[in-house]
Amino acid sequence: MLMNRRRMLVGSSVFGSALALGAPVVLGQAKQRVVVIGGGPGGATAAKYIAKDSGGALDVVLVEPASQFVTCFHSNLYLGGFRSLQSITHGYDKLTANYGIRHARQMATQIDRDKKQVVLADGTRLSYDRLVVSPGIDLKYDSVPGWGQAHEETMPHAWKAGKQTEILKARLDAVPNGGLIVMIAPPNPYRCPPGPYERVSMMAHVLKSAGKKDAKIVIIDPKESFSKQGLFQQGWDTYYPGMVEWLGPKIHEGVKSVDPKTNTVETGFETYKNAALVNVIPAQMAGKIARDSGLANGSGFCAIDPETMRSTIDANIYVLGDACIAGDMPKSAFAANSQAKVAAMNVRAELTSARAFPARYANTCWSLIAPDDTVKVGGSYASKDGKIAAVETFVSKNGETQTMRKEQQGENMGWYAGITNDMFG
Amino acid sequence: MKMRPLIALPMIAMAASCLAARAEPAKGDRALGEYLAGECVACHQVTGQASGAVPPIVAWPEDQFIAVMKSYKNKDRDNQIMQTLAGRLNTSEIEALAAYFGSLALQPMKN
Repeated sequence: MLMNRRRMLVGSSVFGSALALGAPVVLGQAKQRVVVIGGGPGGATAAKYIAKDSGGALDVVLVEPASQFVTCFHSNLYLGGFRSLQSITHGYDKLTANYGIRHARQMATQIDRDKKQVVLADGTRLSYDRLVVSPGIDLKYDSVPGWGQAHEETMPHAWKAGKQTEILKARLDAVPNGGLIVMIAPPNPYRCPPGPYERVSMMAHVLKSAGKKDAKIVIIDPKESFSKQGLFQQGWDTYYPGMVEWLGPKIHEGVKSVDPKTNTVETGFETYKNAALVNVIPAQMAGKIARDSGLANGSGFCAIDPETMRSTIDANIYVLGDACIAGDMPKSAFAANSQAKVAAMNVRAELTSARAFPARYANTCWSLIAPDDTVKVGGSYASKDGKIAAVETFVSKNGETQTMRKEQQGENMGWYAGITNDMFG
Repeated sequence: MKMRPLIALPMIAMAASCLAARAEPAKGDRALGEYLAGECVACHQVTGQASGAVPPIVAWPEDQFIAVMKSYKNKDRDNQIMQTLAGRLNTSEIEALAAYFGSLALQPMKN
């Protein structure tokens, strides 16, 4: 009876009944349970490593409403015509089939920290011994005057991949020669620091390839400087001369308002009317479930212990990826994957006899500027002085050979295959 | 002389697959190696398949693996990522990685 029921649960990607989740006594309570909220890079990696390395000793449940995940990383390459959307879309079937992870296809609506339970959208209460929270970011829809969630189709953000990415691509492909694209870049901290600027590069590539040489891209940036700035700006001058204009806050003096009806962006410096495309990338914060559960501080993100990735608020909870405050590490999929392995190791050490080693982290972000011209930034990180601190970092340099830049694009593609296999395979 | 890693590594890997059967017993801490390998498998396929410009690192003779990692650590080989990641590994950590990856078998390509 027990085995039959277990087999049924393990084989199912959707939980059929509240009984199955809410009553661990039915399962004999033989196994301690780890619940993972969020099936992105952090959550998928954590679930996989906890399940795989515990060899079935722990009951791992991944709470994620979607059946597939479209990666934000390499979505700019889709925008630029270098990848299909399908090639950046990944299912959870291998995680459930290969490692016995159970996939609860529901939204987590509440964390009852006192009872150590996650409440799902249908009211099911899922008990946990340890909880991994990896919800990614939420957008601050009120951070750009005049713009909000109701306008995300007319002025797409495409900072969560999927339908938004498709909208942005369709709009980009429809920009006429002589048309204007305005990107409102996000303030720190945000997901994928080089992302907006790689996106601009891909937009320029699409325009150039279509012969729309008189189209223009203006970036309204709230930051004084940005990731890989010198590399991007030289790349824009080289490949897309006169097409890209970056304006820092001292020049544009802030976004005063946007009007989605007329595609107008008003800044303190200039008003851009009848833009062919306005890409609003707003300010960001940790996903709602993390904030509602009291795991975030005043910054909107969640403080963690840099040795373990454990929440500083609740010792039974780990927070990963874009939702956490990761010190010197950027908010990137690579970083989330790295953090997830530290968390997974510590969860297993707490619940099983697994060994725990000192935390170490790594990150690299590649950015495609033009075909066969890819630059990278990255580093190694460790716990130091109460935060995740950089041990050594590197960044590409202007003047690198074309051969080297082309090789780096090969690395970029190889990395994508490797890391998505590491997360979802 | 600086070697081009992307050319040199597949050759070593081919040699590794031939020599794996008579490799020396592991002297590194495999459990430590498995944890440290988390950094490697963010790019290198644990199946041993090459992808893009990222070469396979599975099933090498341990002494070869150690030699290559030390050459990155000493910056005798080019690649900023590998120099950075190898740079903070001590000898026992490199041996642990060699033991772990050396113990893995090349998996046949699926699809």
